[in-house]
Amino acid sequence: MDYLGYLFAGFAVFWAGLFAYLLWLQARLRQVKRQVELLEERLAASEDNTAAPRATAGRS
Amino acid sequence: MTTITRPTANSGGMLGSLGRLIAKLYEWHWYVLPPVVGIAMMAMIVGAVVVAPREAVEGQVQRLMYIHVPSAIAAYMAFGVVFVCSLMVLWKRDMRYDAVARGAATVGVLFTALMLATGALWGRPIWGTFWAWDARLTSSLLLFLLYAAYLLARSLADELDEQAARYSAVYAIVAYLDVPIIQMSVRWWRTLHPQPIVMRLPGDQQLPTSMLLVLYAGMIGILLLTTWLIVLRSETERIGARATALRATLDRAEGN
Repeated sequence: MDYLGYLFAGFAVFWAGLFAYLLWLQARLRQVKRQVELLEERLAASEDNTAAPRATAGRS
Repeated sequence: MTTITRPTANSGGMLGSLGRLIAKLYEWHWYVLPPVVGIAMMAMIVGAVVVAPREAVEGQVQRLMYIHVPSAIAAYMAFGVVFVCSLMVLWKRDMRYDAVARGAATVGVLFTALMLATGALWGRPIWGTFWAWDARLTSSLLLFLLYAAYLLARSLADELDEQAARYSAVYAIVAYLDVPIIQMSVRWWRTLHPQPIVMRLPGDQQLPTSMLLVLYAGMIGILLLTTWLIVLRSETERIGARATALRATLDRAEGN
């Protein structure tokens, strides 16, 4: 009585769970890195926009 | 309003050494940990499926022990990290420990779920049922639910909310009390679950050396995997917190 079906199911659940978690983690890491890049770009652009009128006002 | 404090790099003692070790792991996590974890996990599969002898009474299905027991140890380790980091959140008021605690809690919940699933699949042919409301199984399910609730509560609050981090830290510390209860449950109550084979007391039943060596190899593999997952997850949390901080700065800048 080896119950190979249960053995296979146990290993399958274990590895599927681990791989699913790793794939999700990789996708999440990529997503937050992209978010940080976009926010940094927007912040830099916003700082440029606020600096430009001040410089113009200083010249006039 | 949130406050993020930086830990002192030269804090001495055992905690300082632990901090330096964690910092080193962060530096290594893309170069050293993946190949080492891969090799260790391959050794675990080969050990469990090929090297370990067939158990005389339970047959081949007993090989589930080589993933079930290490999953439990991995969950204990991950929740141990949550416990220590939660203490550090309360002591140092450093939100980076909160990121590690949240990361480790996710990994702990994952391994608790895998432990429960593999245990149910092992229990069905041996006990005749997937589930029984005995002390070991019920306290393990409780551990899963406690930390799932921790993650849910923490996900509802801002990553940089220091007050939410402190309340969560207190909750996580109290929730960790379930781990020794799980460990002692088979001694304190009559259960279907067998007696401990890893954290044994003198006089307890022992596995044959050939099985014990494969089990230890599997435990080393899965503990390395747990370390890598905690490091990756904590980094994700840390970058997520940075995104939240940037968003707040941008809102203020665009609001002016």
